[in-house]
Amino acid sequence: MMDADEIRLMSDVLAADPASLVFLQLGEALRRQGQLDLAWRVALRGVERHAQRPDAHDLLARVAADRGDFDRARAAWESALALAPGHPAAQKGLGFLLFQQGLLQDAERLLVAAQAADPGDASVANALARIRALGGATAGGRAAGPPPVGPTPPRGSVAIPASVSRPSRTTQALAAPVPFAPTPTDARDVFLDVLPDASHAALLLDADGLVVAGRYRGPDGRDLAADVGAQLSGVSDEASRAMRHLDVGAWTHLAVEAEAASVAMAPSGEGIVLVAAPRRVPLGFVRRVLDRAVERARRWLESGT
Amino acid sequence: MKLQVAADWVEAPLKAFVDDARAEIAVLMHPTGQVLGQFGFTRSVDVQTACALGAAIYASAGELGRQMQGRPFGVMHYAGKDKQVFLAPVAITGGTLLLLSVFGEESSLGLVQLYFQDFQRAVAQAAPPWQGAESALASDFEAELNRNLAAMFGRG
Amino acid sequence: MSSPYGGMLAGLIRHRGVKGCLVVGERDGLIVDSTVQFGVNAQTFAALTASLFRKARRAAQAAGFGDATFVQLEAERGRVCAVGRGDLVLVVVAEPRVNLGLVRVDMLKAAERLS
Repeated sequence: MMDADEIRLMSDVLAADPASLVFLQLGEALRRQGQLDLAWRVALRGVERHAQRPDAHDLLARVAADRGDFDRARAAWESALALAPGHPAAQKGLGFLLFQQGLLQDAERLLVAAQAADPGDASVANALARIRALGGATAGGRAAGPPPVGPTPPRGSVAIPASVSRPSRTTQALAAPVPFAPTPTDARDVFLDVLPDASHAALLLDADGLVVAGRYRGPDGRDLAADVGAQLSGVSDEASRAMRHLDVGAWTHLAVEAEAASVAMAPSGEGIVLVAAPRRVPLGFVRRVLDRAVERARRWLESGT
Repeated sequence: MKLQVAADWVEAPLKAFVDDARAEIAVLMHPTGQVLGQFGFTRSVDVQTACALGAAIYASAGELGRQMQGRPFGVMHYAGKDKQVFLAPVAITGGTLLLLSVFGEESSLGLVQLYFQDFQRAVAQAAPPWQGAESALASDFEAELNRNLAAMFGRG
Repeated sequence: MSSPYGGMLAGLIRHRGVKGCLVVGERDGLIVDSTVQFGVNAQTFAALTASLFRKARRAAQAAGFGDATFVQLEAERGRVCAVGRGDLVLVVVAEPRVNLGLVRVDMLKAAERLS
């Protein structure tokens, strides 16, 4: 990851020459650091100046996706592909987005093309495997499932991520073993493919309640992982304290149902994994997602990241 | 914040109580006011005040209990708006000690009572036989108190 | 001891695998009423579960999830469930083999009678 000095240097270059293509690297570096507002401004200005460059639209799409603005992300990737139909990053990005939106037929088409451009990309291979495990697309191009109902948070509270209506995965899909995804370059993406849809969130926290992996965005796109993780890790500390005196052994799962969300937690090494879902999701389902997230965390940590 | 003790055997039970019960303040003392260990205070004068008041409350409550029901009251609990106070006798061989504790939102009376039971057992096992009230009321009591406080606050 | 909750607790402890049921003050962790099998330390479960529920409630509110309604803790050799209403918490202590779904449904119904 680039350090602050490198980012400053690129900013200076861009300030001196606003037409410089350094905005591509700068925007990506800011995105990886989580400075999404700045990344967005850089990407937007880059697209305005370089509207004919597919890379510029690709950068904008990635930042938009990180901000939870999936409509904008989709539009930007489509623009990139309109300019360069074989753009591998846009094929991959849009392919994943459509996959998560349940548009499996279109997702498969794009991911097959992305795989042809880079046969060694295991994340693409895994996504294609999952699409095929779901039995491919229905006639309408969507995965089977009830239409989603977003959570209604109490007034004044922050809802868990639900910025796009997406159909949930079928129970059959959830029962399928989780393919081992390669180590993502961004720790925030570790749980991306074990979560049914964008309304779920998963975090890996260390013993101090600090976020190690995963992401948690509010409806306004703000990253709330640190706040949410810190609050909820205190509950697991309390559980550990209770277990010392209750003589029922070590705790294995903790679930909290609240007005707007259900949260399930489990120990993972010295820390915990937690999964949050809208209140409408049955607790048993949240528990299954948690088990998959725990397994994913274990493999990711063992991979030496 | 550091736990400070005037005798080594006090440390483990008092630390366990403070950690488990999440006490903000805890003082183990003799009913005469002589302090044996404390957590949460930063000035010796505050410890002396707390011990003096705690001992006085315990003595008054004991007498009130004898007047009302023929035997002293035991545990005392005061629930304030934000903080709560817990004052209870701790039996040891040859005498009684007192534990004064203050706790807030991170704890509860139920938890403090629960961990106080553990504390009582631990102190009963660890404490040496008390020499008796005579030694606490000896002419060198003030000097003994000052020595204890100096040891705990790292002076002299 | 006779309390308004005796019937409720008697109904809950009839579930297979349930070893104890308690109504506890959330703030002080003290028992209001309880029905427990021999060997279950009611005071310990009351104080610790009330504290856990209170912590979960505050964490859920701080995280923006609203008020916590149900907390379930699973351990190697037992399960503890808690439902809150007002300043009281209904606690069930159970063995691992308990039908948690059924107990949860009955706890949520019973909690409506807590005042």
